[in-house]
Amino acid sequence: MHWHLLSVELTVCGWILVLLAADSFLPSRRSTSLWRLAIAGVAVCTGVLLWQRSSGQMGGFQDMLRFDAFSSYFRGLFLLATAVVIVMTRAFHRTLGANLAAFYLLLFTALLGMLILASVTDLLMLFLGLELLTFSLYIMAAYLKTDARSVEAGMKYLILGSVSSGFLVYGIALLYGASGSTNFSAVAASLGEGAAPAAHAGLLLVLAGLGFKVAAVPFHLWVPDVYEGAPTPVVALLSVGSKMAGIVAMVRVLFGALPPASQGAWTEVLAVLSAMTMCYGNLGAIPQRNIKRLLGYSSIGHAGYLLMGLSSGSRMGVEAVSYYLLAYLFSNLAVFLVVVVVSEAIGSDLLDDYRGLSRRSGWLAAAMFIGMLSLSGVPPLAGFVGKLLVLLSAAETGRLWLLAVGAVNVAISLYYYLLVVKRMYLEAPAAASPIRPDPLTKIVLAVLVLGILAVGTVQEPFLQLIASSSIP
Amino acid sequence: MPILLAILLAPAAGALILCAVDERRHALVRRIAVSAASLSLAGALLAAFTFDPALGGYQHEVSVPWIRSLGIGFHLGVDGIGAALVLLHALCAFAGVLISYAIRERVKEYYVFYLLLITGVFGVFTSLDLFFFYFFYEMAVIPMYPLIGIWGSDVKEQGVVRFSKEYATMKLTIYLTLGAVVALTGLLWLYTSAGAGTFDLPELQRRFASQPLPASLQRWIFPLLAVGFGVIAPLWPFHSWSPIGHAAAPSAVSMLHAGVLMKLGSYAIIRIAMELLPLGASEWLPWIAALCVMNILYGGLVAMAQKDLKLVIGYSSSSHMGYVLLGIACLTPLALNGAVALMFAHGLMTALAFALVGHVYDQTHTRYLPDLGGLAAQLPFIAACGVIAAMASSGLPGFANFVAELLIFLGGWDVYPVQIVCGVLGVVITAVYMLRFVRGTFFGEPKRVFAHVRDAVTPFERLPYVVLITALLVVGCWPGPLLRIIDAGSRPLIERMTLALSGPPARPAAVSAQTTATVRVEERR
Repeated sequence: MHWHLLSVELTVCGWILVLLAADSFLPSRRSTSLWRLAIAGVAVCTGVLLWQRSSGQMGGFQDMLRFDAFSSYFRGLFLLATAVVIVMTRAFHRTLGANLAAFYLLLFTALLGMLILASVTDLLMLFLGLELLTFSLYIMAAYLKTDARSVEAGMKYLILGSVSSGFLVYGIALLYGASGSTNFSAVAASLGEGAAPAAHAGLLLVLAGLGFKVAAVPFHLWVPDVYEGAPTPVVALLSVGSKMAGIVAMVRVLFGALPPASQGAWTEVLAVLSAMTMCYGNLGAIPQRNIKRLLGYSSIGHAGYLLMGLSSGSRMGVEAVSYYLLAYLFSNLAVFLVVVVVSEAIGSDLLDDYRGLSRRSGWLAAAMFIGMLSLSGVPPLAGFVGKLLVLLSAAETGRLWLLAVGAVNVAISLYYYLLVVKRMYLEAPAAASPIRPDPLTKIVLAVLVLGILAVGTVQEPFLQLIASSSIP
Repeated sequence: MPILLAILLAPAAGALILCAVDERRHALVRRIAVSAASLSLAGALLAAFTFDPALGGYQHEVSVPWIRSLGIGFHLGVDGIGAALVLLHALCAFAGVLISYAIRERVKEYYVFYLLLITGVFGVFTSLDLFFFYFFYEMAVIPMYPLIGIWGSDVKEQGVVRFSKEYATMKLTIYLTLGAVVALTGLLWLYTSAGAGTFDLPELQRRFASQPLPASLQRWIFPLLAVGFGVIAPLWPFHSWSPIGHAAAPSAVSMLHAGVLMKLGSYAIIRIAMELLPLGASEWLPWIAALCVMNILYGGLVAMAQKDLKLVIGYSSSSHMGYVLLGIACLTPLALNGAVALMFAHGLMTALAFALVGHVYDQTHTRYLPDLGGLAAQLPFIAACGVIAAMASSGLPGFANFVAELLIFLGGWDVYPVQIVCGVLGVVITAVYMLRFVRGTFFGEPKRVFAHVRDAVTPFERLPYVVLITALLVVGCWPGPLLRIIDAGSRPLIERMTLALSGPPARPAAVSAQTTATVRVEERR
């Protein structure tokens, strides 16, 4: 057994035990400093990941997990996202109330699920990772037990999530029945010899299960309500971590478990889904009055762009998606961090309460402005390069209609992001009291904004990193 | 440091430094902005004077590989057309930064966005890489949103709001972005169908010279680029964002916007669409020439009916840009020279007009024509500038506009006689609304409510006006040097296009079908 290959995942498991112990032994009034322990955990895991990466160990775990450069890249992104979510949770302590330890613990189980998903090459591990992630999120979404909206969010997520897990399991069963194996390459080999109709149905069901994770149309219905009700740090994790995990798993399945011959069929399906998802998300965001609902719809729109990259079915498309996710991570986390701070300060997520934010806190408004412009794809920010690469990959495959739909959606998304900017910068403040983020939040915001600028202007190093860690 | 890089980086650096300055220190903020704009102006003058028309081609080049895997490079350089437009932008930006002294609220934020806007426009005029061209293009559009939304003013008529500034700025931003993404679709299609794996413009030019894109592709890519960039030009019927955007913007922003930003569209059509897609151009330019007439006549007639001073100038801009597009559509060296010279002249003239309207508005708090009158007594200097702007705009000899319009009319006569006649008619319309503007604002019975208004008295206040008028007169009386520079860019361009159309210099309007037929015959061979 090559246990050392699992060192990052094992460290996370260890830290879950540490958090459990801290929960039992730490006096409850000290629980507000648990975030330090959590951040330390992420830092240790990052160190282990870097060590593992530099030692260049790949190998298979009886080929159930593959720790290649692709997995390292995304595990790095997952750790980064988790670290920022911890900072958000810290800024959200007042609303979360007691039982912080359990929250951090669930955050780490979710992280474990995402880490596993980055390396899956087996249908069973896929199911395991996905369920680990989703179960943690079910509980976290309903974490504000006294808040009816949060409970509703958790309930909706649980019901729809369970249905989609059902699809996934059923699909896995069909695939196993058709190919006699749960291993990706074995499945691909057996499908390549001429597949039973059952296998196609199975694949479709697996994709449906993953489509639920990335919030692609027509599996998106849960998004607005869950985003509105769940605690904001959880929403950030849902929109960045969970979506990223879903996309990574899709890449693994599409490029690992499918024979190259079938590519024509699934890329066409993804292209159509991508166009539907983009249009639905971006048009749906326009009439929203709640910032979290708006970001929910916008995250559907982004899922569309990600699917567009995948639908090109090429190495270039996967690289574009990897870049897009990097840009999306920085931009979306910056936006959500602002939302967390504002909602903790004024107790509201309504867009109208963002009026005059630039007068109440120049910092927060500027970070939100830059984050949203980046999300809509304005140069010189990160999102622009991500969108350009994705659009380029669609153009390279010759899908000009998809390129046109994607390009027009850039303008549509700019409209509703500017509606937020309009409230923040153009309108008179909703209240006079200034909002003062604490120093750590400011620093993290500054780092995220610098990240947005760096990913948007100095593309070469990131592209090289991605090229060296691309799959197929 | 290479001169173009310095021109580009000065305003960017200014914006960056401003972020670190205390926002209450208005004097320091303004000084930094003025220094940045002056540096760019000095650089642009130097670049124009050291540009060698005899040498031709792209000069002052800077090239740094940026994204190797996609063939993207940070490639700066100007040909004659670019050099003239960089100079125009530097002049307008310098005058605009000085005019911005009238801004008294949120000064620091204002200058950050203003300098970013200036950077973006310099970037477009100097980029020789399609990626960076689009990058700077979109970067120039977005700062307009806060600039108009925060510091602009509603367009009122008899005290009733006709367009709110929020509406105007959102319309402008969405229109321009929609145009940009349509152009982006065209650019990416062009990139992938070229198959050269490079975004570099000169590289693509060389490639297309030996193996041009098939006519069937050019036919579809050209309209994407022409309409996408045409939105900002502003090509009728996509112009409706422009007059209200100008009217709602603070005067310094209108100056840059009407003076320079609108030229980005026609510049992009020349630089990318015509240069790379000559066959598509020959097929579609007659249509554009037809739309230009609508620009000229419709814009002019609507300007005649406006009661808001800025709307008069705004519609007149969209009318005058019709001449520019008409000059481009003619496909003769003379007319193209005229079009670029008109971009230069109109930019200066319209910047002057918006600056003085801004001064009037600042002093009287109204732009409503029936409320104004007799201001020449209190504002002798501004009134003189107004008369000059009106004369320049109507194309009186002695001003740059005259030279430019004459070149377009002469160069286009053989190609589009009907359109040219309409254009000449447009000059008369211009004279009508500009004289109406001058009469209604400055002449007539002095009104008692305006007894307190203040003229631009200090040399510092007068400087932007003096700079713009001097440039207009110098080019108007002594157009040789500027035209030589422009000609160094436009004549080879037209020659390359005629070569690509594989025939003698012909009349594209009458023979466009014939030309394509020739091309098809060539292909069959």
